[in-house]
Amino acid sequence: MPKTEKVTRRHFIKGSIGAATAFTIVPRHVLGGPNQTPPSETFGAALIGCGGRGNGTFNAMGLEAKKLAICDVKFVGREDNKTIYTDFRRVLERKDIDVVAIATPPHWHALISIAAMEAGKDVLCEKPMTRFIAEGRAVAEAEKRYKRIFQVGTFGRFGRSRDPRSIEIHKIMASGLLKNNCKGVHIKSGGLKVKQWSGMVNAQPQPIPKSLDWDMYCGPSPLRPYHPHRHGGTHRGYWDYEGGGLADMGQHHYDPVQWVYAKDNTSPVEIEAYAPPAHQEACGMWGWVELKYADGMTFVFDSTEWGEPYNRKQAREVLLTDLSEEDQKKIKEMPDPEPLVSFAEAVKTRKRAGGNADVANRSATLLHLANIAIRTGRKLQYDPVKERVIGDEEANRLVNQPMRAPWHL
Amino acid sequence: MAKRSSAISELIGRLPDPDERGLLSNIEKETVDSVVSQIYEGGRRSLRALIGLLVEPGRGDDVKPRYALHCLAVRMCRPDEEKARRAFARTLAMQLGGDKPKAVQKYLIRQLQVAGGKEVAAALGKMLQDEELYEPAAQALVAIGNGAAGQLRNALPKVDGKMKLTIIQNLGVVRDTESVSALRRAIGDDDREIRLAAGWALANIGDAGSVDLLLKAADAEGTYERIKAAKACLLLAEQLLDAGKKNSAVKIYKHLLSTRSGSDEAYICDMANEGLAAAAK
Repeated sequence: MPKTEKVTRRHFIKGSIGAATAFTIVPRHVLGGPNQTPPSETFGAALIGCGGRGNGTFNAMGLEAKKLAICDVKFVGREDNKTIYTDFRRVLERKDIDVVAIATPPHWHALISIAAMEAGKDVLCEKPMTRFIAEGRAVAEAEKRYKRIFQVGTFGRFGRSRDPRSIEIHKIMASGLLKNNCKGVHIKSGGLKVKQWSGMVNAQPQPIPKSLDWDMYCGPSPLRPYHPHRHGGTHRGYWDYEGGGLADMGQHHYDPVQWVYAKDNTSPVEIEAYAPPAHQEACGMWGWVELKYADGMTFVFDSTEWGEPYNRKQAREVLLTDLSEEDQKKIKEMPDPEPLVSFAEAVKTRKRAGGNADVANRSATLLHLANIAIRTGRKLQYDPVKERVIGDEEANRLVNQPMRAPWHL
Repeated sequence: MAKRSSAISELIGRLPDPDERGLLSNIEKETVDSVVSQIYEGGRRSLRALIGLLVEPGRGDDVKPRYALHCLAVRMCRPDEEKARRAFARTLAMQLGGDKPKAVQKYLIRQLQVAGGKEVAAALGKMLQDEELYEPAAQALVAIGNGAAGQLRNALPKVDGKMKLTIIQNLGVVRDTESVSALRRAIGDDDREIRLAAGWALANIGDAGSVDLLLKAADAEGTYERIKAAKACLLLAEQLLDAGKKNSAVKIYKHLLSTRSGSDEAYICDMANEGLAAAAK
């Protein structure tokens, strides 16, 4: 291989079979100098969404990645369509980009993730993974169809998957030995920034900044009159873009918990909220949400910021002693779960990432079901296989929401 | 009417005020529930009076009437409220196309997206030709489902530009098989987004008769269009495999294999090979 030839990761993988030795025998210093990463391990990368989380998300990829492009709808007037873009579609056309980090507001997460995978890129996407449940399934289907790597931008499960106590609980729950007799109750109390990430109910239209492509920002969501509170961090307070503090912080907390309790492949079947009637556009105050799985395991979001605190159940871990002695022995003899694969390792080895689209969809579903219960004011029954609410038309209109053309799943 | 309006104004005045940041941070559930219940008890007259309080953004303060109307829409979706829900939806639908400000009509359509049913499909269908209301009307129709396809299909010949794009896309969302001919014509549109929407719509519908059209579109030179057209082909192939139409699916996969020779499109070939393997089973 000539020293001057630019080698992208994609070309490397295609040519790697039978040719890997050609790279291993070439000294690193010949290719890139002392202490240089060989080109075969350098990935062309783009950052889409350059707000507060942008650089953090990009760095979280953990790859030797060259940032070839940055893209944001607020770059109007600065774009050169070579390194600075306002339209992510042009970024995804580039053949020298292998991976994308997505740090836009959540209403764009699914669409850009899917588009990136359609274009052959691997994706690290900020949490919450999605804005509504059907998006998550679409992302998981794209991940599977295109065989790309997807990782959601929350990593707590990696640490929990190495913790002995968490591993024990995981094995107990994964074994199915508790069946319908699980007494576990996990309560997330406080830290959900409910008031902080509430939306304004009296925002009056304001002139759109010249540097912002507001139509593109709104994207699949309704084209509302512009107000700065709907953009730049405080977007979290609007159903159009996110889902309040519950959506913003909930996946951070419950994604690792979902792993611990071996719920990566299912969802709660009963959801109930205690909250005042929700505003039509602005996320607001709520008290608690209780989500119960088919085996009895219960997750609770307790905001501690409104109304009476949650007091229906006490927090309770799942214990080895919940099982018979015979079943306890089975658990001790069970092998530990396989280590979770980081995004960087997944990109290089093509193994599935630990926070892949399937599991991230399930943890995002917790937040969305909670918010649907808040917004409808009704107790919900959910079918985790069909991923639909049972017997509640209005709720299902929030499970799968129409998008503004030309955007669709 | 003035008396009713005054009574409603007084009632919704009890709803919480936003705080200094514009948030509803001091909200009492019982107060809101009580106000909404009283509006509900007032029937159609109260509802009309409430609608009368809605104004265009920037033209006055209708924060509380909008909130009250939405709470009422949500309440109408309770399982035991079907009769009341239909009456509610019809009352809102009757306001469409009249002389109310478009922003107010848009808001009413959003509430129909929450609480409307097939009884308002026709009223929403008429709004598909309104430049300011077509998008929320299309979304409300798709959310309602029942009756949506016919309204979208009937409006298609009468619109152009962004309205046409919206309708084509949503015909794909609702998988309207009766629109296939119109969608096939749209694949040749001058507008790229319309071409792509039509291709995707045909794929989502699973129309076997569109295979050649989609394969031709997949040979597009523009990179983004090529990517999207390939997606439509793969989606169609999956639909056809599921429907037992293996020969058509195989045709798609073989075409993709023969036209995606660059290393940057190797992943498409991988998928095509997997598809062929699945078809061979």
